[in-house]
Amino acid sequence: MELMNNYKETILIVDLDAKQCDTESLSEDMVAAGLGGAGITAALYERYKDRDPLIIGTGFFTGTFMPGGCAGVVSAKSPVSGKLCHVPFGGYAAVELKLTGFDFVVVLGSSDSPVRLWLHDGLSDIDDASDIWGKDVWDSVDKIREAYGDEMIQLLVIGPSAEAQSKAAQFSVNYWGSFDKAALGAVFGAKKLKAIALRGLDSLDVAEGFFGACVDLKNAICSGAISGKSGLKDIARDIGIDAGAIEKLASMTHRNNAAYNCPYAAAAFVKYNEAPSAMDMKGHPAPGCLITDIRGFAALHGAGLDAGQAMEQCFRQGIEPEAAAKAGKTEGVSADAGKAAAFSTAVPASIFGSGQGDAWWQKRQALAAVLGIDPMLMVMAPEITEEKIVALVQMSAEWDEFSADELNRIAADVIAKSA
Amino acid sequence: MDLKVDARKCTGCRICEFACNYHQDETISSIGSSLMFYFEEKKNYYGMMVKRAKTLYLGRPEGEQLLKPGEQIEGAGASAKPILLRVACDCCEDEDDGPLCVRACPYGVLSLEG
Repeated sequence: MELMNNYKETILIVDLDAKQCDTESLSEDMVAAGLGGAGITAALYERYKDRDPLIIGTGFFTGTFMPGGCAGVVSAKSPVSGKLCHVPFGGYAAVELKLTGFDFVVVLGSSDSPVRLWLHDGLSDIDDASDIWGKDVWDSVDKIREAYGDEMIQLLVIGPSAEAQSKAAQFSVNYWGSFDKAALGAVFGAKKLKAIALRGLDSLDVAEGFFGACVDLKNAICSGAISGKSGLKDIARDIGIDAGAIEKLASMTHRNNAAYNCPYAAAAFVKYNEAPSAMDMKGHPAPGCLITDIRGFAALHGAGLDAGQAMEQCFRQGIEPEAAAKAGKTEGVSADAGKAAAFSTAVPASIFGSGQGDAWWQKRQALAAVLGIDPMLMVMAPEITEEKIVALVQMSAEWDEFSADELNRIAADVIAKSA
Repeated sequence: MDLKVDARKCTGCRICEFACNYHQDETISSIGSSLMFYFEEKKNYYGMMVKRAKTLYLGRPEGEQLLKPGEQIEGAGASAKPILLRVACDCCEDEDDGPLCVRACPYGVLSLEG
């Protein structure tokens, strides 16, 4: 096994009680046992569960040429379900985490004052965050980027809702919320951890032939089930979202965005403060927001709210949109929407005819969370077969012994530990 | 031959940067790439820059722009500055199957011209 093609081989342990950081090696034994992502965060959770761990992990393929290799996972005991939940996060944040030099971050205990974690260039700093505690997510992102002098910094950050440890809270990836339906944002809040700021300028090695194999898979995906489909609106149509909400989304969509190395652009940037067609950079400083959670958007529309602006308010406050829709408001929401589960219920059971039932969906989500593949893509791209995954794990890590049986064992183990 | 960007097709997945870096030094990263994604996140304004041998090519959603040394990079922001230190795009002349960024892009954003 050759770890350096997939990992930086380092786990960061952050002790907020003592305000100290330490590292340990990511060993071949840990990768053999859990492969990556939730396969390893679940093991770390077991090891540290008496200290309320919040664990952020990258997947085996996060930041590689594997199509959809954008995702990381936040694992913790949900304040809603009381069980271990794995919430995916994407965009560029998980790639940025791996390239900081840390594959996994284990946050233990809680701070007695607000802090933010700043990870960069193999370094970890626990910095005071009293200047942004109480501020909304958007202001916090701006102030952290300004403080560290880099607008490309990626963030996992919370707003006032999570600071108050609301069960309606979610953590946010930069400005735009997340797939957190399990209130893991409130775990950040309980630890007084306002944000984890990431800037990674490191690199990974690449196995011989891996780039070409990934391009072949990307081409197969693009000519497969997603062919002819475009953007979040086509996903919304396919999964039966209310026509009025789809019309609202389509009328405001500016561009469709993709997470790192994703062959389907599943996020829609909607504009409501200027014309959606405006492409010039000299427009409104905050013309709209990025929608990834179509069910949240549709729920707000169904609650009679202006869905675009209501999503912005949810993002700013750090509130899970379906919880806000249930409450009929976007501030002071305290109850969750009843959507917490081991894997994020923001991901539909079937997209473009892929669905094969609950057990299939759960296994695809477990594999996404282990491998660091976009969880939506894992549902909509049947071309990412388990046979192909095994072959690419073998190739990438120069690990001929890795087998389909091992992949099945790891997925089943993650599901069992989160049940 | 030069690399050309159709910025309106771009979705910001950034795999082109990482593919270019792989061509340059056989690792996956973005810091050694001749391509650079520039992004004003809150406006969702983004496009690609390409460091050419004697010019800087901007593939912007409003259209293309070619800058000569010393010219102001209007609106590219602080994230654009490091590209001036990068290796110029060689269009992957030594790659049998064409530029790696073109091969990696799922959206047909990149092409060769000239």
